[in-house]
Amino acid sequence: MKEVAELLNDMRKAGVVTDYALFGAAAQMRYTEAVATLDADVLIVVPEPDRLDVLEPIYAYCHDRGYTPEDEAVRVGAWPVQFVPVFSPLTKEAVSRADTAEFEGTPLRVVGAGYLAVIALSVGRAKDFARVLALVESGAVTRDDIGALAARHGLAGAWSRFTRRFLDDNP
Amino acid sequence: MTTHEELLARQAAWQKSRQALSWPEKIRQAERLRSSIEAIRKERWRQLRRDLPGSRNDEQAVLT
Repeated sequence: MKEVAELLNDMRKAGVVTDYALFGAAAQMRYTEAVATLDADVLIVVPEPDRLDVLEPIYAYCHDRGYTPEDEAVRVGAWPVQFVPVFSPLTKEAVSRADTAEFEGTPLRVVGAGYLAVIALSVGRAKDFARVLALVESGAVTRDDIGALAARHGLAGAWSRFTRRFLDDNP
Repeated sequence: MTTHEELLARQAAWQKSRQALSWPEKIRQAERLRSSIEAIRKERWRQLRRDLPGSRNDEQAVLT
C-alpha cells in the first residue's frame, strides 16, 4: 500500500490527477477490523473530466512507471488499484474533505468514515450495507452524522430504509 | 452467562482486539487474505477445467 501511496502522490504532483482519495474496503480498515478485498479503490479528480477516455492519462502514467493493467485495475505492488473518477457531488465532496493519513511514513489521502458510510449507502449492495454497519459499530461515525450527510445528498429515504431494516430495535 | 453468550462475548472481544491493530497491519492482513482467496479461486478454476468433458486430465491442460 506504501507503493500505492507513493504513486498516487506522484500522480498528483505531476498533475495527472487533481486530487485523489482511497475509499472502499482498504479505507474502511482504518476504523474496523481487516476485511477481505480483492483490490484498492481510489476516487480521483481529473483535470479533464469530460474526455471520453478519461482514464487514458492515468493508465499511460502508470505504464511509464512500469505498472501494467490487470482486468479493470492497475497492479501496483501487491494491490490491483481501481481508479474511479468522482461520479457525483457526494464523491466529489468526499475527496475534497478526505483525511491525509500516513501509511508507513508516506502521506495517503483517505475518505473519512462518514463519507465511506454514505457512499456505501448510495451503492446499496449487501457488502455495502455490511460496511455501513461495521463503521457504525466501530464508533467511527454516528447514526446522526450519517443521517445528516445522507440527507444533504438526497439519500434521506435510503438512510431511513436502512435504519428500519438494520438498526432499529423494532421489527 | 450461557455457553453461547460466553462464546459471543469472547468473539466480540477478539474482534475488538483486531480492530485496534494499526491500519498498516490490517492492510497486511487483508493482503494475506487476498492471496488465500486468489489461490482458492485458481485451484477451483483448475478443478473446473479438469472436470470439463473432453478436457485433458493433466496439469498441462490448465496452463494452455
